Amino acid sequence: MVPGPFGLDPVLWAVLRLVIAVALAAGLVFNGALAQIYLERKIQAIIQDRTGPMHTGPYGLLQTFADAIKLLGKEDIRARLTDHWFFLAAPAIVFAPMLASYVVIPFAPGVMGADLNVGLLYLTTLGSMTVLGIVIAGWASNNKYSLIGGLRSAGQLISYEVPQIVSLVTVVLVVGSLSMTAIVGSQPGLQVNALIIPLAFVTYFIAGLAETNRVPFDLPEAESELVAGFLTEYSGMRWGLFFVAEYGEVTVVSSIIATLWFGGWHGPFTDVHPLLGPALGVLWFTLKTYFFVLVFMWIRATLPRFRIDQLMSFCWKFLIPVTLVNLLVTAILVLAFPTSLVPVAIANWILLFVFAASIPFLQRRRLVSLRARLAAREHAVA
Amino acid sequence: MIEAAFFALLVIGMVGAGAGVVLLNRITGAALLMAFTFLCNAGMFLLLGAETIAMFQVLIYVGAITVLILYGVMFTPQRDRPYALFFQKQTPLAALFVAPIAIAVAVFSFSFRDSTAGPKGADLAPLATSVFRDFAFPFEVASVLLLAAMVGAIVLVKREDE
Amino acid sequence: MIPLGAFVAVSAVLFFIGVTGVLVRRNAVVILMCVELMLNATNLALVAFSRRGGIPDERGSVFVVFVFVVAAAEVAVGLAIILALYRNRPTVDVDEVHAMKG
Repeated sequence: MVPGPFGLDPVLWAVLRLVIAVALAAGLVFNGALAQIYLERKIQAIIQDRTGPMHTGPYGLLQTFADAIKLLGKEDIRARLTDHWFFLAAPAIVFAPMLASYVVIPFAPGVMGADLNVGLLYLTTLGSMTVLGIVIAGWASNNKYSLIGGLRSAGQLISYEVPQIVSLVTVVLVVGSLSMTAIVGSQPGLQVNALIIPLAFVTYFIAGLAETNRVPFDLPEAESELVAGFLTEYSGMRWGLFFVAEYGEVTVVSSIIATLWFGGWHGPFTDVHPLLGPALGVLWFTLKTYFFVLVFMWIRATLPRFRIDQLMSFCWKFLIPVTLVNLLVTAILVLAFPTSLVPVAIANWILLFVFAASIPFLQRRRLVSLRARLAAREHAVA
Repeated sequence: MIEAAFFALLVIGMVGAGAGVVLLNRITGAALLMAFTFLCNAGMFLLLGAETIAMFQVLIYVGAITVLILYGVMFTPQRDRPYALFFQKQTPLAALFVAPIAIAVAVFSFSFRDSTAGPKGADLAPLATSVFRDFAFPFEVASVLLLAAMVGAIVLVKREDE
Repeated sequence: MIPLGAFVAVSAVLFFIGVTGVLVRRNAVVILMCVELMLNATNLALVAFSRRGGIPDERGSVFVVFVFVVAAAEVAVGLAIILALYRNRPTVDVDEVHAMKG
């Protein structure tokens, strides 16, 4: 029992601390979502040679606030044949695990909710709970587009969890701990994990794109095939909650990348002053996280969407074998050279180049087989 | 004190949701209550200080098994029917046999008066050592079992005409 | 401080709820859920006994890991059987399935 400040009752303080922590995390998530929606619009506009939102406030900065107020003020529409309780529960089931992930994210030395020694496992666990909410949303809407969207999404999330977890395990093998603080502590200065296990970073990044339902993996919301997938029947702030949860998850995945591969809060001048240091740590961490958020948006403006069978075969036939080979090689080298990480780094860079070089080769083979099939079909028609 | 309060809440959640799974006539509702029981069970593991097991519990049961069962529910739609037809004919007989055994076992289990207050957390390293050193062979056999189950499931649901 | 017996009693109650469900429900999917409840009760008992006397003995937890594996395999194969059954006749009622009764 921790006694509270100002002679507060410890039981009361425990409850109060929980409320403060949840309020802080929720504030972070909602403000982050507002900022990210603005950034996303601006970046897509820049890439597509437009100006983006300009009219509300200077440079359109207040546009997302206006949209949020519009969402809050919308009529609460619920179709008559929807499954009442599940329809209400689904956004909460998607939102709550995302909010809970913020407990273990290390912003700076001493600035984190709890330093669990199974922190990384906790994050993957919460990531897997999102699927449940999406399936229920699809089912409760009582709409075939919603149902197909929900089931597709469940298949996608469960499939891409495998390469995601295997990539994380590779990091854990190199670092030797599941605690987020220990992982950050193992990467002082320029000795970041991205230089030691770059292939795991690439595979995790791809799997993370799929886990957050971002382009090119946003199949559940493919508007050209499925209206809006599991979101079809949702409107107003319930839809907004799904949307905020998506941006929150993008932030969580980006901060996992920043923590695991890019040294988290480490950066110049973090140890100059006992109070200024952590503040700078938070700054470096936020900058690294938002860099990857920006990369996510850049990818969204650049790449087309996968088809569902391509998505599945890419995961099971390409990504999972690659991550498994990477895990095996890393495990063997970590066992063989317990004192030095140089062999692991060399092997990983070689694997990364093989991985990158094999893509055009595989592409050509796919094209050849596709042409052969087309020719056979034409032959059959003629 | 707080531990006891949490324990009481978890017991209520677990037993209530478990009873709901048996008594509810909406199958999707039963599946969600089952997921809630699993979550409460993970809370019990946390109270016992087995945090790694608690995480695996949520990862596997809530994240995977509940979703699989929901898939099963959605692929086997049913007509509505009267509530009475949800139960088998032998319901009273089954209750007659189960209730005495259940009460006897529950009363008997209170005779374990040992303490469970041990070191909390940090069960990851001993667990890993146990699995990969003392139980390495059963672990491999478990992987073979999973492979066999996967092949079996695919063979069972594959259509003949493809 | 919660005694070991409390955990074991909860586990027993949950186990017998599962048994009742398997015995009285008609729907095969619900029967599968109740089997999962029974496995969960077993997990709780195993972990509770592995903490007996305050000295963690991780062998109980290792058994729980194996129960996870068995549960995953069981639910995959069980659902496959139910789906195959449903494809042949559109029912998941266990007492309407008597094709093998002879």
